[in-house]
Amino acid sequence: MDTAKKGSLTVVGTGISVAGQMTLAAKSYIENADIVFMGIMNRVGEHVVKKLNPNTISLDDLYEEGKSRAITYRQMADRIVQAVAEGNKVCAAFYGHAGVFVTPSHDAIRRVTELGLEAKMLPGVSAEDCLIADLGIDPSRFGCQSYEATQFLFRDYHIDPHMTQIIWQIGLAGEASLRVLDATHSHNGLVMLTDILMEHYPEDHEIIIYEAATLPICEPNIQKMALRELPQAKPTLISTLVVPSLGLPEYRQDRLAALGLTEQQVINYRQPKKEKK
Amino acid sequence: MTQSIVDFLEALDTNSKLMEAYKKDPTGTARAYGLEDEDLRLIEEKDWDEVKRRFDDASKATRVINY
Repeated sequence: MDTAKKGSLTVVGTGISVAGQMTLAAKSYIENADIVFMGIMNRVGEHVVKKLNPNTISLDDLYEEGKSRAITYRQMADRIVQAVAEGNKVCAAFYGHAGVFVTPSHDAIRRVTELGLEAKMLPGVSAEDCLIADLGIDPSRFGCQSYEATQFLFRDYHIDPHMTQIIWQIGLAGEASLRVLDATHSHNGLVMLTDILMEHYPEDHEIIIYEAATLPICEPNIQKMALRELPQAKPTLISTLVVPSLGLPEYRQDRLAALGLTEQQVINYRQPKKEKK
Repeated sequence: MTQSIVDFLEALDTNSKLMEAYKKDPTGTARAYGLEDEDLRLIEEKDWDEVKRRFDDASKATRVINY
């Protein structure tokens, strides 16, 4: 009989704030793990995790100025996978949602699964969730396009200006080397991004640069400006650009007709008059 | 007994009554919680840059490569 202890991996998010956005399930997996790896970037958040489980190992020491983040992320996954392979019940805790804009969490789960061991991810509170709450934007109102700034610049994507644009990591816009850990290399990328956006929006279209609050005594940072001013912006590594919609597109009469509907009918369904008693 | 600002920040983030009290009276609430003078001064002076410098490290915020 095989009595060797089999390792497992649970990846959890701790939320954007220091403690209050951690789910009850995430907390329990942290408490009950043999080892907890942390990629939290906030010392209060780390303190909270360490109180739940003293056997913690930080992943943040792997970041180094001048070192490719591709290597950093691979090393993060290496640490996590090795601990699982050694038979430990491992929890990897990343700030925010552990699966949103996180390369090493997905890599670790894939590699642990390939070893025939159990690996799963729990949902968490991401920066997008904070953005929706703080800015009062419902992504379903106009539809939403959400993408990473550099990926958008490098590849042949297309903007639909009727949809809300949420553009992440503008502080690294156009930065290809992956070797910088600050937002001082984004100017050329922001100029290019502005030019692309101005093909679809007027230059005075109001845009928002947003940073979620990571500490409970601080407010979210919300800067509003005209689109033409974007190249002069000074984003940080946690800045997100929001470009509000130009409004809903026209109804597609051909599709409505194919469904046996008219525009007036669907407007009436959406905005019913008061029913007579 | 003095309490650490780290515990205070955790408590503010998880205790709505404490947060409501803090919003009405930041310094009084921090003092009643038991923060030591140096930490209390950060709250009094609203020195959020120093608080962020102490506790946040945004250089380690990026965790994805997609392009």
